[in-house]
Amino acid sequence: MKNNHTIVEIRNLVKYYGNHQVLHGINLDISPGQIIGYIGPNGAGKSTTVKILCGLIQEFQGEVTIFGKNLRNQALDIKKQVGYIPENAVLYEALTPLEFMEFVGEMRGLGVEQTREKGTALMNIFEMKPNLDQRISTFSKGMRQKVLICSALLHNPDLIFMDEPLSGLDANSVIMVKEMLIHLAREGKTVFYSSHLMDVVEKISDRIILIDQGKVIADGSFEELNKLSNDENLEKMFTRLTGNTNHEEKAEAFINAFEK
Amino acid sequence: MVRFILLLFRPFRWLIDNMGADYTQFIRILQLKLTLDDRRTKGFLKNSQNAQGKMLIRQSFGQILMGSFFGIVLILIKSQFTFYYFSHTFIMAMMAMMIISEFTTILFDTTENVIIQPLPIKGNTVSLARNAHIFIYLTLMAFNLSLLSIIIAIYKFGLLSGVIFIVTLFLNVLFTLFLANVLYLGIMRLASGEKLKNLLMYFQIFIAIFFMAAYQFGLKLVDKSHIQDMVLPVHWFTYLIPPAFFSGFTEGFATLNFDLPHLLFIGEALVVPVLCFYLSGKYLTPVFNRKLMDLEQGDRSSKVKIESSKSSLWYQLILPFFVFNASERASFKMMWKMTGRERLFKQTLLPSFGYIVIMVMVPFVSNPQSFGELAQGNKYLIFLYILILVAATLPRALQIGANQQAAWIFKTLPINSPADFFKGTIKAAFAKFFIPFYLGIAIVVCAIWGIKVLPDVIIALLAIYLGTLLMYFFDNLNFPFSLEKTAVQGGAAAFRIFGLMIPAVAAGYLHKYLLNFNHANLILIPTYLGAIVYVNRIIVYKRVTWRQVDQSNNF
Repeated sequence: MKNNHTIVEIRNLVKYYGNHQVLHGINLDISPGQIIGYIGPNGAGKSTTVKILCGLIQEFQGEVTIFGKNLRNQALDIKKQVGYIPENAVLYEALTPLEFMEFVGEMRGLGVEQTREKGTALMNIFEMKPNLDQRISTFSKGMRQKVLICSALLHNPDLIFMDEPLSGLDANSVIMVKEMLIHLAREGKTVFYSSHLMDVVEKISDRIILIDQGKVIADGSFEELNKLSNDENLEKMFTRLTGNTNHEEKAEAFINAFEK
Repeated sequence: MVRFILLLFRPFRWLIDNMGADYTQFIRILQLKLTLDDRRTKGFLKNSQNAQGKMLIRQSFGQILMGSFFGIVLILIKSQFTFYYFSHTFIMAMMAMMIISEFTTILFDTTENVIIQPLPIKGNTVSLARNAHIFIYLTLMAFNLSLLSIIIAIYKFGLLSGVIFIVTLFLNVLFTLFLANVLYLGIMRLASGEKLKNLLMYFQIFIAIFFMAAYQFGLKLVDKSHIQDMVLPVHWFTYLIPPAFFSGFTEGFATLNFDLPHLLFIGEALVVPVLCFYLSGKYLTPVFNRKLMDLEQGDRSSKVKIESSKSSLWYQLILPFFVFNASERASFKMMWKMTGRERLFKQTLLPSFGYIVIMVMVPFVSNPQSFGELAQGNKYLIFLYILILVAATLPRALQIGANQQAAWIFKTLPINSPADFFKGTIKAAFAKFFIPFYLGIAIVVCAIWGIKVLPDVIIALLAIYLGTLLMYFFDNLNFPFSLEKTAVQGGAAAFRIFGLMIPAVAAGYLHKYLLNFNHANLILIPTYLGAIVYVNRIIVYKRVTWRQVDQSNNF
């Protein structure tokens, strides 16, 4: 798997919340120009990993190097080249998307005019140009998600972290984001995509990392993983590897609960 | 505790059912609300494990203490009617304040709608449960506040009188609650959506200022030298003053005096609360739920406003005085816009402007002939330095708002130190809200004392600006608009104000002292300017670090 130059290097990443251990020593090397699908069941530690890599959580054990820089003491330089799209994050509701993006852009050191042009162009792709000067408080869930995506891409980052970026988006936007991701990867950008939507991950990822209970339990392209096990799709493999095989029984028990 | 409170409602089952609510559902909703309150940890106690439940006891203790201060004054009053009149007025005013500051949030809480609305809940149940919830808290407060008054009443006027006083306290709570209901629901009929939200905000600001004014002028009108023999004369309009109903009621029963005036009061005390209750239940509550949905959807359903991207002339004018680097300008610009739009911020800040205007006006109105004398002395320093009380509300007001989780964005940006952001924030709020107000006062001051006091006006402004900066940077470093409103209130605020008064008074006296020497006051201009530069360039970067900021915020 290891390329001649890695851009993200994770060594023995461990994270505790109080006494509860969330990550049990994650080791990963990520090469540029790839879309990495980071999947796992609820509570597996997906969001925690992403938040550590983006600098939102600063307390962790182990070593993380991004662009050859140490996350612990060079986080600022790393953040300059990284974009983060969280899941359904709270935005400053009283602002308009343009004002919000202007702020983000200026904090990143982009000029006002440049930010405004870029932001308008990005929003236009999502057909949100008419909403540029309306307050975010009037927006639906999907519209907010689009604002988040646009403001994360303003500074043309080389590495993009996404935490369920498609949540709340309509079918057209989902297709568009998928296309956008493939396009970004082709330009040499790296996308770290955390999700539990198997079908999307299966279709766009160059490499799939499956984690469960804070450990990597499978790693490779879908074809590679498939060779090992002959699962017909990612969903089946996911089910088998995370040890939940009795879905039918459970569904039946669910139905029975009503009939009593 | 919750169970006990709920048990108290059982005898009134028939009433609740009769009002078009379902008793079982009513009790369940109430239980949910009370349980949530019981477990709610206030913002600043978020990390402490044993915060549970203690808040209520601490709050009760504060209320009892406060009520005792008031009760001690009453001990001298001989007339039973006057005694109860003052007690009820006090309780009513305190309840009104409470309703304005806290219960509007509860009354218009839309967060639970998602859970409650889809359930098959009968007609008025939800709004009745809301009111019962508020009623429980108001009753608790009324009793805490009048604990000492009740004891004094029993001692002075006998047990019977004291017991009837307790009964009238209940009536008073009911009356105040449903009067507030009638007012709020009346307003809700007037408008909808975004407009309604703004209207409610201005209504609250108005009421807050109105009570402050009534209290201030009321104190001025009472002749305190004859407090022992003070008897409130009963004019025709006394029959229109609500606290008089309840004091007449108590006196009537306690002395078994049922002449016409007392019968009138007794009638009013019984009929008016019931009438308000009936009115709000019959005509207003049915609209309530519909309007509440409106409020929630408000931002979306009402016509979407297009924000202009142009900045105002005032912004252009003031910017060069405050902002000297790029990232500070970005936050200055953002906060300039947000402070103009955040309702909770305005709701917290604007009343303080009103309070100050009233406090400054009261001496003029009660003693108009001193106007000429005033222009001779240098009392204008008081007018200028008192404004630090307004500026002092800025740091706290900036922290309150509904953007509890929005600060994550700062963690993903490559910002070396959060100091520039915090600097831009306080500067924007100061420039946008305080400076225009100060200019207004300054013009009045210059009109009375002449243009020669202009240097003093500038000195006071610099002193207040310096004080505001220090207060903001040395408070908890919460990101703007990220604290729940309830978390910031309480006794701590009063201590802060007292702590603030000492340096403010010291600065004022230093200024006054220097006025004795020719132009010696001018030395304060470079002194304060230097201090401001020092704070903005050096101190802020040492104090506002990520380490400090991380302690107060969740990401």
